[in-house]
Amino acid sequence: MISIRNLTFYYSGSDKPSLRDINLEIEDGEFVLLTGPSGGGKSSLCRCLNGLIPHFYGGKITGKVEVNGLDVTKHSTKELATMVGMVFQDPENQLVATDVDSELAFGLENLAFAKEVIARRVEEALDTVGIVSLRHRATSELSGGEKQRVAIASVLALYPDILVLDEPTSELDPKGAEDVLNVVERLNDELGITVILVEHRLDRVVAHSDRVIVLEKGMITADGDPRSILGDGRISQSGVGIPPIIKLAQVVKSKGNLIDNTPLTVKEGRIALAKALRHSERFASRHSEHPSLSLRAGGVAIPRPFAIAQGDNKESVIASETKQSHLKPLIEVKKLWHFYPDGFVAVKDINLKVCPGEFVAIMGRNASGKTTLVKHFNGLLKPTKGDVILDDINTREATVAELSRKVGYVFQNPNDHLFCDTVEEELAFTLNNLGVKGEEAESLIDQTLERFDLMQYRYQYPRFLSGGEKQRVALASILVAQPRIIILDEPTRGMEYRLKAELMKFLDQYRREGRAVILVTQDVEIAAEFSDRVVLLSEGKIVVDGPKREVLSRALLFSPQINRLAQALKSYGVPDDILTAEEMIEALA
Amino acid sequence: MVSYKYSDKGTVIHRLNPWCKLAWIAAVFVLALLFDSPIYLLLLSLSTLPVILTARVWKEWLSVMKFAFFLCLLIIVINALVSNQGSHVLYQIPVAIPIAGAPRITLEGILWGVGNSLRLLAIISAFTVLMFAIHPDDLMLAMVKAKLPYKSVMVTSLSTKFVPALIDDAQCIADAKKSRGLELDRGGRIQRVKSYASIAIPLLSNSLDRAVQVAEAMESRAFGSGQKRTFYKELKINKGDITILSFVFFSIAFGVFLHCSGQGGYQYYPVVGAVSLTASEWAMLFVLLLMVNAMPILALLKRKVPLD
Repeated sequence: MISIRNLTFYYSGSDKPSLRDINLEIEDGEFVLLTGPSGGGKSSLCRCLNGLIPHFYGGKITGKVEVNGLDVTKHSTKELATMVGMVFQDPENQLVATDVDSELAFGLENLAFAKEVIARRVEEALDTVGIVSLRHRATSELSGGEKQRVAIASVLALYPDILVLDEPTSELDPKGAEDVLNVVERLNDELGITVILVEHRLDRVVAHSDRVIVLEKGMITADGDPRSILGDGRISQSGVGIPPIIKLAQVVKSKGNLIDNTPLTVKEGRIALAKALRHSERFASRHSEHPSLSLRAGGVAIPRPFAIAQGDNKESVIASETKQSHLKPLIEVKKLWHFYPDGFVAVKDINLKVCPGEFVAIMGRNASGKTTLVKHFNGLLKPTKGDVILDDINTREATVAELSRKVGYVFQNPNDHLFCDTVEEELAFTLNNLGVKGEEAESLIDQTLERFDLMQYRYQYPRFLSGGEKQRVALASILVAQPRIIILDEPTRGMEYRLKAELMKFLDQYRREGRAVILVTQDVEIAAEFSDRVVLLSEGKIVVDGPKREVLSRALLFSPQINRLAQALKSYGVPDDILTAEEMIEALA
Repeated sequence: MVSYKYSDKGTVIHRLNPWCKLAWIAAVFVLALLFDSPIYLLLLSLSTLPVILTARVWKEWLSVMKFAFFLCLLIIVINALVSNQGSHVLYQIPVAIPIAGAPRITLEGILWGVGNSLRLLAIISAFTVLMFAIHPDDLMLAMVKAKLPYKSVMVTSLSTKFVPALIDDAQCIADAKKSRGLELDRGGRIQRVKSYASIAIPLLSNSLDRAVQVAEAMESRAFGSGQKRTFYKELKINKGDITILSFVFFSIAFGVFLHCSGQGGYQYYPVVGAVSLTASEWAMLFVLLLMVNAMPILALLKRKVPLD
């Protein structure tokens, strides 16, 4: 059991509290989902639970945190290790041994367990997490998802009562994340281990949690069961990404429709919405001479409005296609092959054109060649066979720096971009490399800072900014050069919804200025909402390339939540190529 | 592509007790220092090959050796230019170089370079086994057994583990910099140093972040709990290992004996000596190298006839 009373915490050297006046009781066996905007105090709260705060981090702490009756300020992290297991965000930085079974033994060895006990517990942990097949593998050769499962098993071997996971899936691809979350759910279900999970992907885990706690500016702003917390729409202001299904249910409900329980999964949504549709169908047939009545009641008059909505969507897609076809492409990829020195063929015979004004999402599993492909677009990789033509320049004949005038490339980790002393210098660095100086540079910097809302950070040290702000600085440092093409490699991984939406808004604006945006992503919801064309890669080949509606609807793996719902409601006249909650709401209106 | 890290190839050498491999490396090292004769050093270098081949690390070995050969070439050239004590002058450089004077290329100077290169090759060759055929955990256990403090051993092992991550990180940062228009390999020397400094700073900050994260994760799993740590895996020494160890240690003793009895020595300056060996010297050298190679010989035998 965890009991927190009046907890306030300041990191050393900070005059703003990271946690303020937290009061919380967590019962044994609960599955708690901890969420909230970045910098809200989620990680700090987690670190209080096993005494990393205050023992490892120092700082000023008041109030009381008790885990199983032990005061964490009086007991060291080492003592608490057998009660609270911590799993961290980055799979790379929490494994310390060379192979999997030594990794599992590490904690037990530190606590001086006898060899026989260690052997037994390692065996158990491997079985419980379902990674027996990995036991002799080298940790460095595992995939991200496998690494996280090893990390979970390695704390599980200490028999903790409580498992704290601080964004364990934010560095993982969807498949890896799914594997990790399945394990966590099973540990809670079958072993009754208390789970405290920090997670942005609410849509995936919310159905499994008993309780959602929202932490903002160091304070708990909501705490309760998921249906009531997410159902009433209060927390959407806090930047927590409400899963599309719940968003939809909120709107349908607000129009007076019959949805008695906030649906948390696609299945629940399907049932609730079908019920609401049946209800209004009856309603509509009874008042057939007054169809406006059913509309005003928020009920769904079927199927005419859908047909219109669908027609609209189709037209807009066609319009954008014809609009682009006569434009000269910015990027032209011709029969591109790339072989890595170890003989691995990463992309095979790719043909692709990207025109000004396009927003292209490049999707596919891990190692399907996405990053290899886009690294050709600014010359970081040169074709083994074939050509990449960028606005009349063959990338074989230009350096990356020369191509950077035309192409901006944003890496996933903003820390890889930032090294100057101030935000302003970051922007000036790029311009200086491109030979833009003096007043012209000044005005470009001013404009860009303004546009990215970074004016107030102009003279700050970029690496000390929050995650979202850093991402913005990184983006600004690229876009200040006004490249005609911008490439982003998984920029939204582990990002909270509000920041994602903000970033996409910037990109959409940029695209409208006649530039091309290319987004490498595994985030189906983002692709569905913001891109207009999706290229799906598999094993280095393009499997599908087309308007997002064609690619993402009626697909099995890469279809957004709402589309899965729409497919099931086809018989009610809901068009099955709807992708987002907004479109669904529009179709239902 | 050769990755400079341990990978378990599952050969008899990989399976072997790390003490055997460490003893073998020590033996090659000591013998390389004891002998001066180019013939002894050449054969000693060659005698490391059976181990390399049995451990199937020749690709890694070859890439290390490429670098070693370059180093040797440097030694030979510089020594030939700098050392003027030899008496067989092959070429007198007509112009005077400041400090060095007018170098005289002598047969002795070149031979000395060759001899010492062979010494270096033998040592480097043996150390590739340390890098590529001893499991880091085994090495760590051996170090702890040797009474080195566990925390220091752990930190050393960790730092080698994160080298590949550091290289990836540096590559990624360099790519990011290039994408922002930085010409990394252009400009004068000062410009280039400046360009690379721009990689060093984020690399350092990223590494510090990483260090804090690793420390945190270790702390959470009770690292340094103050109790005497136990070890899940143990180094088991069986009869076969002891046999190998005895042979290898005996080879060191035998080498010392040969050295004291004046074998394997060689005179480079001022006049090169003859390189011929007597029949008994050949025989002794052969026996010595056979003993040094007890590891691959017995390991291979063991596969057929279990010794324990």
